[in-house]
Amino acid sequence: MDNQKLVFTPAPHLKDESTVGQAMRDVIIALIPVSLVAVYFFKFYAVFMIAVCMATAVITEWAFRKAKGKKTNLGDYSALLTGLLVALCFPATARWWMGALATFIAVGIAKEMMGGIGWNRFNPALFGRVAIIVIAPIIMLIGTNLLSLSANFGAVDVVTRATPLAMLKQGMQMPSIAKLFVAYPGGAMSEVSPLALLLGAAYLFYRGHIKWHIPVSILATVAVLTLVAGQNPLYHLFTGGIFLGAFFMATDWVTCPITDKGKLIFGVAIGVLIVLFRVVLAPTEGVAFSILIMNAFVPLIEKATRRVSYIDPALRREVAIPGQERATAKG
Amino acid sequence: MEVKTFKSGGAHIPHYKSYTENKPITRMAAPDEVIIPLSQHLGAPCEPLVKVGDKVEVGQKIGDSNEFISAPVHASISGTVTAIEPRPAYTGGEIMSVIIKSDGGPQEFVAKEKRDPEKMSVEELRQAIREAGIVGMGGAAFPTHANISVKKPVEYLVLNGAECEPFLTCDHRQMVERPYELVEGAKILMRCIDSHKCRIGIEENKPDAIQAVSEKARDAAGIEVVPLAVKYPQGNKDQLIEAAAGKFSVRGVRSSDVGCIIRNVGTTIACYDAVASGKPSMERVVTITGPTVPKSGNYIIKIGTRIGHVLKECGVESLDGYKVVLGGPMTGMALTDLEAGVVKGVTGILVLPPDMVQEEVAYSDCVRCGKCVDHCPMLLYPNELSRYAEAEMYDALMEWNIMDCMECGICSYICPAQRPIVHFIRMAKPTIRKMQRAAAGK
Repeated sequence: MDNQKLVFTPAPHLKDESTVGQAMRDVIIALIPVSLVAVYFFKFYAVFMIAVCMATAVITEWAFRKAKGKKTNLGDYSALLTGLLVALCFPATARWWMGALATFIAVGIAKEMMGGIGWNRFNPALFGRVAIIVIAPIIMLIGTNLLSLSANFGAVDVVTRATPLAMLKQGMQMPSIAKLFVAYPGGAMSEVSPLALLLGAAYLFYRGHIKWHIPVSILATVAVLTLVAGQNPLYHLFTGGIFLGAFFMATDWVTCPITDKGKLIFGVAIGVLIVLFRVVLAPTEGVAFSILIMNAFVPLIEKATRRVSYIDPALRREVAIPGQERATAKG
Repeated sequence: MEVKTFKSGGAHIPHYKSYTENKPITRMAAPDEVIIPLSQHLGAPCEPLVKVGDKVEVGQKIGDSNEFISAPVHASISGTVTAIEPRPAYTGGEIMSVIIKSDGGPQEFVAKEKRDPEKMSVEELRQAIREAGIVGMGGAAFPTHANISVKKPVEYLVLNGAECEPFLTCDHRQMVERPYELVEGAKILMRCIDSHKCRIGIEENKPDAIQAVSEKARDAAGIEVVPLAVKYPQGNKDQLIEAAAGKFSVRGVRSSDVGCIIRNVGTTIACYDAVASGKPSMERVVTITGPTVPKSGNYIIKIGTRIGHVLKECGVESLDGYKVVLGGPMTGMALTDLEAGVVKGVTGILVLPPDMVQEEVAYSDCVRCGKCVDHCPMLLYPNELSRYAEAEMYDALMEWNIMDCMECGICSYICPAQRPIVHFIRMAKPTIRKMQRAAAGK
């Protein structure tokens, strides 16, 4: 028997079928329903924004990895996913170059310059989105003529409405809760349909990519606190970026705590911050800021919730540990 | 019956047992030559008791040691000693071995006398087990007499019939076919450790084994079969004593001091044979399996039979691009050389065809998905361990309790980034051990 060509690799010799690429692809699939609703309302504006951001993401990742002399990594779909997420954080009629710039910051700075996927501390898509808000005054300084640089696919009758969240803040007459939940245009593309996001999230649960701890703790915290503040929690849950944030952003593997206990603390804290933003501070991008702030606290949460090993003596105080009894006898 | 399991972590892994689970144990013809390593166990290696040219009988002791933690080795065939020299070991490297050429005789072990275990003293029982060279046959190969020589009574004898590794069925078949010997063996071990409670843990996917053993155990005082959930690594000692006896392992404490002695069911049957008929550990049941093995099955194989010979007997022709694993697929070792002989701790020989084998896997950085943390039965952080091991940061590894890892392999199995997590851990451990010894020596 020819045994020269035996394959030698370390144990284990079985592997399940999961890959990072498959997981990222599943998240993209989970975002298809909400993207379709956005396209339904905003037509070509939505298609164009999504295309611009995804293309920017791919080019940025390729360029940064090339510059660092690393293997390109597009097969793991993570750049495409970041591009899609950034696009969904913008209103469809936002200026396309803002989306592109946000994506460039997300993929290039928040992810690749932090060491690539796995090493980034902040959610790249949210980092990109928020960076645009922060640097907006600088853009204005550079020249207002930039602002006229925008795509025009003709009028879409839903673009000029106030966002539901702004309506809520200003005490305007609100659309029905059912309408808000199923589909209502206004604000960012991801905000058009909590139902569509929920569908996508259900798929992610089914595929085992996310756990319930973070989304449930965020939504429950927001519901309870807004109720305490004397407001209708459903209006808060079904408006703004809460669903996208709770199911797709805060659950990002890389930037959330790893243990279940940590995830719960993380989720509750995000919920508290969201309500704080909504009730006390400016209503714009409260979810994004809340998640990013808590991203920074993840190492602290990890430290505080670190579990002990299964055979750690601290878990079994009734068992006498050799050596330690002698130590106490001496002391 | 109530199904028990361990609480933390674990994973469901496809079990691939259908190839051999219904195949009765058969005897494989003795080979013309055997290569018997003088160390097939944890502990001190044996000194040879024979020299080149000596005639030996089946079952004759050919190597022994004066050390307490050691186990003698025996001739598995009758014939002539042709060499005593280093030969390839399946763990890599070479190991001093006695080579015996067959005299063409019947090669069956014949008991010289029948003994009644109940009429033997505890000391006699322990001695019989030692003389027979019985070691842990679930893979660990720790000398059994050392394990059962306890100074104070142990609450539980826990017998491991979980066989949670995919593919393997040798314990399953032995429980189905030799339940009487298993229960009698349990009684012997219970006397040796002065225990009055025995729990035999068997995973639920072996209902015939549960039934067969329960029937024989019904009239035996203190012996109970505990059906276990099918979850890997149900058969690791820490998880097994939790599920079967409600006991917990503690770092730095021997299992006998938390009230459990754990033995594999195959070992228990071997103990019965050793006591009742003086049969030494010179052959064992091995599962030869894999999707493409023509004559897969559960075979009684003489210790020292070349693995290449065993595979040929099972109809395996070419192995180009295949992987041959000794033991189960989760913790077993891939072979580079089929010259090595079967030893006492070999549970199975697994032939994985090219479509189940990935030669070089490109892995990426940890994406912190947390799956290894969720599934780690030892409640460790395999993600951190793999990162620190990759970076050779040994102090950090100690801080994250690397030595608590028992290398079940779930983390590597489940990692979407394809990181060889348990391999990183395994590679870092020798250095950690050295550091710990240096620290203790100070």
